[in-house]
Amino acid sequence: MAGINGEVSWFCCGNAWGPCASTGRGACGTCHSGNFQHAWPNASDACYAITHPDTCGISGMSRRTCGFRHSTTNLCNGSRVVTSIADCGPQTDLFCGERACCGGTCASNRIVDLTPAAFSAIASLSAGLIPCSIDVG
Amino acid sequence: MTTTMDRRSLLTRAALGATGLVAAGAMGSLAPETAFAAATQYPEPGQPDPNFAEGLIISRNQDLLQVQGSDGRLHRIQLTGVTSVWKLRPTTLDQVRVGDGLYARGVLMPDGVLAAESVWVNIVNLTVSINSIGRSALQLEHHGQKVVGYVQPGLTAAVYNGTPAVSDLSMLKVGRHAQVIGAWRPGTNEIDIATIYASN
Amino acid sequence: MFAHQMAAAQPLLIGLLLLWSSYGKVAGRDSAEQARRTALPRLVGETSAVPAYRAVGAIEAVIALALLLPPAWTVEAVAAVALATGFTGYLIYAKIVVPEASCGCIGASARPVGRRAIGRALLLLATAVAATTAGNGWWSASSVAVAAVLVLEAALFVMLSAELDRYWLLPLRRLRVGIAHPLAGTATDGVPLAATQRRLLLSPAYRAVNGLLRSDIHDYWDDEDWRFVSYTARYDGRPATAVFAVPHHDTTPESVRVAVVDETSGQTLYRPTVLATAG
Repeated sequence: MAGINGEVSWFCCGNAWGPCASTGRGACGTCHSGNFQHAWPNASDACYAITHPDTCGISGMSRRTCGFRHSTTNLCNGSRVVTSIADCGPQTDLFCGERACCGGTCASNRIVDLTPAAFSAIASLSAGLIPCSIDVG
Repeated sequence: MTTTMDRRSLLTRAALGATGLVAAGAMGSLAPETAFAAATQYPEPGQPDPNFAEGLIISRNQDLLQVQGSDGRLHRIQLTGVTSVWKLRPTTLDQVRVGDGLYARGVLMPDGVLAAESVWVNIVNLTVSINSIGRSALQLEHHGQKVVGYVQPGLTAAVYNGTPAVSDLSMLKVGRHAQVIGAWRPGTNEIDIATIYASN
Repeated sequence: MFAHQMAAAQPLLIGLLLLWSSYGKVAGRDSAEQARRTALPRLVGETSAVPAYRAVGAIEAVIALALLLPPAWTVEAVAAVALATGFTGYLIYAKIVVPEASCGCIGASARPVGRRAIGRALLLLATAVAATTAGNGWWSASSVAVAAVLVLEAALFVMLSAELDRYWLLPLRRLRVGIAHPLAGTATDGVPLAATQRRLLLSPAYRAVNGLLRSDIHDYWDDEDWRFVSYTARYDGRPATAVFAVPHHDTTPESVRVAVVDETSGQTLYRPTVLATAG
């Protein structure tokens, strides 16, 4: 799978404080906000049926299951993290068409969600959404 | 640098180019992108990051926080003058209170204390559906749980289809989905909305 | 007498409600998944939850058909009372003991037990009790008044059913919002910090100094045509502040400026003059 460009956000998991208390340990049962993990839209058939990246015209998003490693690079500053799949997400088909450009490279659609630990390593949690490039980790 | 006003005034002039640069020779010709002091050590994928903490603040002694992580770990987090604090907006150290939830990133010291560089208090990032819209709050639903999202005038912003954030919330629609960045109100199912990204 | 006719008509309503309820439990595609999300695993054990869920659905269907089809025996209504009592008890148990469990009430919805669900169960109980006093089958109770009351009862059930909100409540709310949006007064001239932050993060100035930044936004302020945003930074081992200047009226990425200022001396350590974008 060649690198895919898109946008990355973050999510909490692991029965933590606040609205995270009821989220559980993710589709893989191992997810925790403090771990270097991420959610992938094509982690299973059931997952794909929820996220439907094809609605946004994204093809070539391989089926990768729990534990698979991807690297996420922030297109705006070059920082990079390698994380493993721990959950299903994001809800790609809800936000089709969102686009951002950084230094001449543009990216559309939400393609990955990182845990707070991983996202904060490459961007600020308050930023919410960052253009990124995903590769096999 | 002394008072906030003096400091801001100095920074303003520097940013706008009204101050002289220290001679380049004194600094050496370091490309800023590579000026990382020490390459940050990241954990193995799937593993916890020792330079990151998550949990509920159970006690505060001056600027040292005791934080109970949801994985059972107990963190000690040191706040300093250079720590950035987010609590619905960038704010000051005194706003960090016992009972707040937090994420913190910094540098783990040899004595086990995390010297915090950035702290995000009560920050949540939720994918919700909008059940109803009122004058001061939105009734949201997050994975079947009801969440009340308060609108803060002058602060809450909306992003429509990836366009720049605006303060005009009148294009939000009932029944649609949205992503919400906000600050949880501890002990409740309520949040204050910082930014709401409307879905298609 | 009107009261007798009303009592006689109840089984029609109850039967239809129970049929709808049983359909989701027995024939629904993900009924097994639904069962696991309710409080049943807690009540009867993990392995028995799905069979128990389907069994309840089957019992509902049987009672529903008995109520709807002749002949009309009082025992049918008594069975409905027992069922409704069981529902109410279970919902109250679920709400107290396993509050995050889904209701598992009707259809394929995964919502937690709310007051409306309990209210609906109590309403079902009341109508079932009324049905036990009936002398004849529902097909004998035909008058406009009875039909009108049945319609009102059905409306009440609908209003207490959160699963049906999207058919009437949501459209009603959309209409209300469409007429006069409650948040119409929120538009201002000011630029939200979120917009400034996004512009900043996508700018060449940020790319130029990102390696020096050590925190999220530390401070921000407005001055005439500019908004300033500062971050903690480290330059060559020295504590510093990176300050960005974002102009209100020029929205190009290149218009964002940055300077890195020494924390102790206040001297400007770095200020990119040529902010080139990647070729």
